[in-house]
Amino acid sequence: MLGPFLETLIGGLLTGVLYSLVALGFVLIFKASGVFNFAQGAMVLFAALTLARLTGEIDGREVHLANFVVAAAILGTALAFIAWYAWREFVARGGGPAEGQRMAILAAVGALIGGAVAWFYGKGAWPLWVALPATAAIMGVLAYAIERLVLRHLVNQEGIILFMATLGIAYFLDGFGQTLWGSDIYKINLGLPKDPIFLFENVFPGGLLVEPGDLVAALIAGLLVVVLAIFFQKTRIGRALRAVADDHAAAQSVGIPLNTIWLIVWTVSGFVALAAGVIWGAKLGVQFSISLIALKALPVLILGGFTSVPGAIVGGLIIGAGEKLSEVFLAPILVKQFDLAGGGIENWFAYMLALIFLLFRPQGLFGERIIERV
Amino acid sequence: MLYREAGQFKTTYGADQQIFPILQDRLFVLAVILAAFLVVPLFASQYLYTEILIPFLILSLAAIGLNILVGYCGQVSLGTGGFMAVGAYAAYNLWLRVPELNNLVVVFLFGGLMSAAVGILFGLPSLRIKGFYLAVATLASQFFLDWLFARVKWLTNYTPSGSVAVGETSAFGWKIDTPAERYLFILAFVVVATLVAKNLVRGHIGRSWMAIRDMDIAAEIIGFQPLRTKLSAFAVSSFFIGIAGAMWGFLRLGSWEPLAFDINRSFQILFMVIIGGLGSLLGSFLGAAFIVLTPIVLNQMPGWLGVKLSTAMISHLEFMVFGAMIVFFLIVEPHGLARLWSIAKEKLRLWPFPH
Amino acid sequence: MKRSRVFNEVLLAVENISLSFGGVKALSDISFDIAKGEIRAIIGPNGAGKSSMLNCINGFYHPQQGAITYKGVRRSQMRPHEAAEQGIARTFQNIALFRGMSTLDNIMTGRNLRMKTGLFWQALHIGPAAREEIEHRQAVEKIIDFLEIQHIRKVPVGQLPYGLQKRVELGRALAAQPELLLLDEPMAGMNIEEKQDMCRFVLDVNDEFGTTICLIEHDMGVVMDISDRVVVLDYGKKIGDGVPDEIKGNQAVIDAYLGVSH
Repeated sequence: MLGPFLETLIGGLLTGVLYSLVALGFVLIFKASGVFNFAQGAMVLFAALTLARLTGEIDGREVHLANFVVAAAILGTALAFIAWYAWREFVARGGGPAEGQRMAILAAVGALIGGAVAWFYGKGAWPLWVALPATAAIMGVLAYAIERLVLRHLVNQEGIILFMATLGIAYFLDGFGQTLWGSDIYKINLGLPKDPIFLFENVFPGGLLVEPGDLVAALIAGLLVVVLAIFFQKTRIGRALRAVADDHAAAQSVGIPLNTIWLIVWTVSGFVALAAGVIWGAKLGVQFSISLIALKALPVLILGGFTSVPGAIVGGLIIGAGEKLSEVFLAPILVKQFDLAGGGIENWFAYMLALIFLLFRPQGLFGERIIERV
Repeated sequence: MLYREAGQFKTTYGADQQIFPILQDRLFVLAVILAAFLVVPLFASQYLYTEILIPFLILSLAAIGLNILVGYCGQVSLGTGGFMAVGAYAAYNLWLRVPELNNLVVVFLFGGLMSAAVGILFGLPSLRIKGFYLAVATLASQFFLDWLFARVKWLTNYTPSGSVAVGETSAFGWKIDTPAERYLFILAFVVVATLVAKNLVRGHIGRSWMAIRDMDIAAEIIGFQPLRTKLSAFAVSSFFIGIAGAMWGFLRLGSWEPLAFDINRSFQILFMVIIGGLGSLLGSFLGAAFIVLTPIVLNQMPGWLGVKLSTAMISHLEFMVFGAMIVFFLIVEPHGLARLWSIAKEKLRLWPFPH
Repeated sequence: MKRSRVFNEVLLAVENISLSFGGVKALSDISFDIAKGEIRAIIGPNGAGKSSMLNCINGFYHPQQGAITYKGVRRSQMRPHEAAEQGIARTFQNIALFRGMSTLDNIMTGRNLRMKTGLFWQALHIGPAAREEIEHRQAVEKIIDFLEIQHIRKVPVGQLPYGLQKRVELGRALAAQPELLLLDEPMAGMNIEEKQDMCRFVLDVNDEFGTTICLIEHDMGVVMDISDRVVVLDYGKKIGDGVPDEIKGNQAVIDAYLGVSH
């Protein structure tokens, strides 16, 4: 009994690290801007699709050509719109050097992406070491566009309005990503070993089966989590981020540029999305259902608290393990007892777990106790 | 020049508290309802009924239900699809197992009541948790209910495929079969339900919801009981949503599986409420019209323009348009189409002398 | 106008209340009473614990020690809506109106405890529900007349200027016909004229309806003019209690306001 239990537990924990990674993207943005970014899942999908298509072989070019024309038109319009907007502000402000630099960067990146997309359609697959930075650049531009076109116009709105705006962004990105890159199932090949490893063969009969891909993925995710935690706690930007998180107005009054901070946060969470997208894509293949991974990360947030980095990590582990264990051990009992047409309880078990937990501790595992004032 | 309220003096509080205090508004609404009952059946085609009018009306009802919870009481829910499913499956089981009650009015009301009961159950966490936490908690109900109707065989009468189908339906001996009959039945139901919703939101129950929405602590201090108020909003909201779900199953689909009420349905209804206008019943109708018509227009548009697009492409475009519209409305007019409508009315009142 | 009125009956008595948040002591060992029919003021420098005191009285905060006797019933814990049911109404330091609703609807919410018709009649809006609505509308219109805010009856309160919002908030509290009215800085941020209006309303409420009033205010002129007795808090402790003239001469109070080191 112990063998299968441990095996399931390990599998669950390894998946849990990935949940943590996605949850971390949520936490980053929520901490710094109070936005509950429902589009995190869509960003993961977008990043994974981009990378998969940049590295992958082109198949069925005729079909995608029509898509490409439409997508290029939309992308072009969007970029033109951003450029026009930036230009207007540039003129309005009398054109300071900082804004000029930013515009130059924007133009360069825009040109880079334009060129990259064109070259990609002409040439075919890219090696990973080219495709990965290119995708990161695209995620950066995406973050910039979101900050510029959406969030900046919703400053000082209620949290719930911002949340619904990100719901809109999620829908847009889901559609946009698939328009741009097509909606087939793609593979991302990271060259990870495929053969399962067996641990503790002398302790348990047959040993414990662990997928090496999971192990490597969990390692990468864990490393990222640590890096981000250090970034948040130790660096100057991290300190500015925390200041903004505590009080926007106060942070602004001591000279922290709010818009820049938001841009950084969204870019970083774009990179986190990229990491999550790469790992999930390598594991399950890149397809639309990846964007639903955001839904898996939500119970993690409830459990860990919306603002806690350690909460996201521990919450992810608990949810990952709980989900797997419940599916393997609880579901068969339920199926037998109630004559169900199959288990599949992992879809809601995590939510119920989080919900019950919430009733006893509304602020989450690591959240601070809220004192209400009038 | 016609739209004026000058000279219409209110001499009693009753007259001042009417739903439409302005005479022209009353006449206009009356005309719309009469036209919907009498004029539409004269010319409507089968396509107009089944693809536009029936979905529009049913989804309007669901949007009204959700608007009560989100727009009036301020409790964001992402579980609308699940509550629609409760309504649909409860109605189905009553229809199936108690043939004596084969009256659509009874069946639908039962669906609504069961949904209200489940709504109260899943509304209980709202006492302890607020805002995003609650929104995520309602997702729990969505996923749990999805699972329940997919897995518990009794609920789907042990059909091997898991999809259920309804046969002949009637109400008070009147057989409801053709699209026109279905349309008229739904229309009558929706008109009555809208009136009920309006009465609730303008009375003291509606004020208690809005008080909780605007400032829950102050509301509690002046004497509203938060749990009772929130649960009443959950109950009423789920009641309407449950009826809409039963209608969707019985009169729109005829046969369905749980997928018809998945999380995308929840988002769809939420979008209607946002685009239409939070806290506005009129907005619920406008939002539903927008969401129902947009895909149809998008499907037709390439044809009009002489471009050929794949269906996958169109569905992606649909996503993009919806997403962009949501963001657009939240930025430009957070109160949605309903607000644009009232601004237009205000302009009309002053026209042609705007100063 | 100096008034010296005599009150015999105690409406509310605070006994040895202590309240802390985590390690921070907001109130320590506070005792005082409020007589039926009087205007009682609580004063003190910022952070003295005045608002916390009101929050304890109407059940929003639960003191760790001590008890409150209201109308002869001793209690240590109470939910806010229970306090409201027993006739305690209040206004807030930072206006807590329902911003999405009109003036009329806001004041109508003050009547909520008296509106009893259930969901069914409400849904139909005929019979008892309609009658009840009109009956309470009449009561609310009297308050609207009293506060002279007829012209903003249907305006969403979010659009009103600050002074008028304060008045609407008073109206909402009055609509509950409270026995004890708690006012948290009713005149903060007002100009002289608005303050005079508000003073008049407070005195009129006390005179006409016999409502007991407990108010927090920083304007010493106002406090000394309209209140019957004053209690002074500083750093969560009571440092003075008595009629305005006594308070003016109290050395501890003068020190607290002039800032003698502790």
